[in-house]
Amino acid sequence: MAKQYDVLFRLLLLGDSGVGKTCLLCRFTDNEFHPSHISTIGVDFKMKTLEIDGIKVRIQIWDTAGQERYQTITKQYYRRAQGIFLVYDITSERSFQHIMKWASDVDEYAPDNIQRILIGNKSDEEEKRQVATGQGNKLAKDYGMDFFETSASTNYNITESFTRLAEQVLAANKKDLDLLRASVTDELNLAALEEEEGITDGAAASQKGCWC
Amino acid sequence: MKRSRSVGASSPLNGIGKQDGDPRRKRKLAEISQALNVTPVDVAVLRRMAISEGGLLTDEIRCKVWPRLLNVPTDILPEKSEEVERENNKDYNQVLLDVQRSLRRFPPGMPDEQREGLQEELIDIILRVLGRNTQLHYYQGYHDIVVTFLLVLGERLATALVEKLSTHHLRDFMDPTMDNTKHILNYLMPIIERVNPEVHDFMQQAEVGTIFALSWLITWFGHVLSDFRHVVRLYDFFLACHPLMPIYFAAVIVQYREDEVLDCECDMASVHHLLSQIPQDLPYETLISRAGDLFVQFPPSELAREAAQQYSQQMAASTFKDFDLTPEQQRPDTVLRRRRREKQALKGAAAGAMVATAQPTTARRFVRLAVMGLTVALGAAALTLVNTALEWAPKLDLHLFP
Repeated sequence: MAKQYDVLFRLLLLGDSGVGKTCLLCRFTDNEFHPSHISTIGVDFKMKTLEIDGIKVRIQIWDTAGQERYQTITKQYYRRAQGIFLVYDITSERSFQHIMKWASDVDEYAPDNIQRILIGNKSDEEEKRQVATGQGNKLAKDYGMDFFETSASTNYNITESFTRLAEQVLAANKKDLDLLRASVTDELNLAALEEEEGITDGAAASQKGCWC
Repeated sequence: MKRSRSVGASSPLNGIGKQDGDPRRKRKLAEISQALNVTPVDVAVLRRMAISEGGLLTDEIRCKVWPRLLNVPTDILPEKSEEVERENNKDYNQVLLDVQRSLRRFPPGMPDEQREGLQEELIDIILRVLGRNTQLHYYQGYHDIVVTFLLVLGERLATALVEKLSTHHLRDFMDPTMDNTKHILNYLMPIIERVNPEVHDFMQQAEVGTIFALSWLITWFGHVLSDFRHVVRLYDFFLACHPLMPIYFAAVIVQYREDEVLDCECDMASVHHLLSQIPQDLPYETLISRAGDLFVQFPPSELAREAAQQYSQQMAASTFKDFDLTPEQQRPDTVLRRRRREKQALKGAAAGAMVATAQPTTARRFVRLAVMGLTVALGAAALTLVNTALEWAPKLDLHLFP
């Protein structure tokens, strides 16, 4: 069976209710936008495969309910994530202030080498803006994160931000990835030779799921 | 904004299989009408009607029977609903966000103006009930329950019934935290284990958890079913039964999808994703009847102990597979879980033997189910006490249970 991807990452969307987490995800994976999407109850995910530096990266993006009481449920999923989007709504000062709370929860419950990125969504609603771009930039800098203003509605910076986080996760786990590649290449040298056509990457013959 | 009057009984959403020529349907209509017309109203018969095939048939009947099932007197309801203070209301923003995103719950083809009027009423009902019961806390999904009542009953009746429901069936979901909600979900795996040990073990191995059923439980499936007729049919059933019945129904759905589950890749994400996507063409009547059977065979009291155990094991077993390359099978919690599975397989076999001997006849089942439901309506306070203190509370010491 042909392998569909080389590595699998789990990313997690966090942020207050209504900041547009589900809309960001639908725009990224299905290129769709529904202004009145239904509330997310619990958690679910969507998948997409990106190619970064010749590596096929399958990303599983988990979407979560934003209401505070759901955190007791969603934080169970922090531990299995390698990357986190902290999302606020540029038209909601409150959602921006809450980023600090979300960030400290991530520190508490997520793995140490978790990669984070700050997203200010709804950048198309300039007339309702409550959070200046500079504020977002500053907060991201304080936390050592990258920052994007995005719009799921106009498809602005969506692919860019998802790709950036995926790249960061890939880089952060490069050592593990190289180790795995080396061992897999050793073991599967013969098989790789036989299957050479269509395969550009040594890790492509690795077994699906072996490091998720 | 202009308020539309309730859709209520005149809604185009009425019941299933409307062939008036159907003799069974005719008979059922007559039985319901008779039960409503005797003094005192025969609630036991109404419960049986709500559970048995087809449920309560039309929204017109639901308007009369649902209040009876919840023991809400309709003759003393205030003519006019009290005004609601929206500003400075701690829940208003969240409720507004959810109601604005609930378009899908309204009948397709409803004029925007009418829908917007109903959305305003929906906000008012929710805030009114929360305002009068400060011990209750709003959760996302509560609006999915309330909109169902609003569409069937109209604002005035819906307010009264939702208030009753919120202080009884939904009470545990409305705690300050979701701890009790999570604990109720812990009943799911023990039921599945008894129905189908193979599926149970597969799900345990995948570490799928029970969050896929969260929205089913706390919205009574209103959030995930697109056909309103199916939603109200289920509400007939749940209103007539024990508050834990939605969990039995969830277990029955998982069982119904046995082949798909076992064909699924055995990892958390795949199984969670599969189960989260609920099929829209479920054989509802069959599943309702199976859920009723399960409830009679394995009542909550029998599952309480295991549900409490699930809770502690969940805590212990929540070490997730991360980015490590360690062979999974050597991790201590995997070994522990394997041992537990072996032990549970033994217990499962014993439970299987019980199923064989405990097949009640259909009639007896409805009677027993109806009796369980009756307890809810009559001794609601006592039941809540018993359930929250003994059966549902995860924190209590296990030796409390016989």
